[in-house]
Amino acid sequence: MQVTVKILRYNPEKDEKQHYESYQVEADPTDRVLDLLEKIKGYQDGTLAFRRSCAHGICGSCAMRINGRNRLACKTLVQDLNTTKITVEPLLGLRVIKDLVVDMEIFFEHYRAVKPYFVNDEPPPEKERLQSPEERERFDDTTKCILCGACTTSCPSFWANRNYLGPAAIVAAHRFIFDSRDRAAAERLKILSDHFGVYHCHTIYNCTDACPRGIQVTKAIGEVKKAIMTGSLD
Amino acid sequence: MLLRSRQVPQLGWNLEYIMWIFMRISGLAMAFLGATGMALAFLMGARTQMDLPTLMRWSFFPNPNHVVNSNIPDVTQGWANGFWQVMEILIISFAATHGFNGVRMVIEDYIDHSLWRPFLRGVLFALWLFSLLVAIYVILAS
Ligand code: FES
Repeated sequence: MQVTVKILRYNPEKDEKQHYESYQVEADPTDRVLDLLEKIKGYQDGTLAFRRSCAHGICGSCAMRINGRNRLACKTLVQDLNTTKITVEPLLGLRVIKDLVVDMEIFFEHYRAVKPYFVNDEPPPEKERLQSPEERERFDDTTKCILCGACTTSCPSFWANRNYLGPAAIVAAHRFIFDSRDRAAAERLKILSDHFGVYHCHTIYNCTDACPRGIQVTKAIGEVKKAIMTGSLD
Repeated sequence: MLLRSRQVPQLGWNLEYIMWIFMRISGLAMAFLGATGMALAFLMGARTQMDLPTLMRWSFFPNPNHVVNSNIPDVTQGWANGFWQVMEILIISFAATHGFNGVRMVIEDYIDHSLWRPFLRGVLFALWLFSLLVAIYVILAS
């Protein structure tokens, strides 16, 4: 089938502002949007810039706006879009470097701010720090994050003020706050209870809809709010 | 070893936290106070004595001035007393604070670090205080 792919393009060396360009592509219903982009770049216009790496929905490189929703291009099938007109735009809320490539620096700055790593200064036991399956289950959902940025860049609170840490950083914090082996929960909760932390979340649920990994992002943010309120990490 | 309960020392209160809780409580409180005002109005005969707009005005601001022009024979009988003054003050305090905090959040969201932010915060605080004082004066004087 023939599909029309309309891409919001921007070349910082030539263009003053972003503009749309359309491409006709021959596609199978089971093609992914990433395949269409590859076809366009390979056969029609080699100047098209976009990020991709794994093409299997796990590296988080290819998040972009597809028909108005934040999706991974490598995980979105043409047939699931229910249309032959596909609009592809860069993520919102971040500076566009070129075409579909955005500057993720502020995103990772917020990520680093919540100490997204294991902290435990107690001497390690002889074998390993044991954890029951139930304790592991407690934070299982937020371990799935691939840092694609789809949630944070779908969040109106983040669009309004980019100092807001954003859902992705809170998800990363949640992953360690509720890990029974970790010891820095209090520190992270302090960071998240700050001015640009969890209270900038107005429970809009865009993040949950955008997450290509199906993480219940708004729920995780709610759990962090509850932990701040009660001090309980259960 | 199933789920061991873990606890961290509770964080101190900060403005964002207090206002976050306040927004939830005041939202519920306004609905509850409005429903109470409406229910009591019905008990006092609102069904035959006033029209819907008057009833709504009364529910969300139970001031006797809001119902004097209805068919209530005498507002001093049940409609104007200390209980309703307390209700009015509660509703207006919750509503004004809820609303002004909403505007504050819009300012915090959209105004970046600049002199505008402290300035607007100040204006907002003054407006909030002023409108509350005027409202309480009106309630106690009417
Ligand atoms: S290319 Fe790796 S997630 Fe899409």
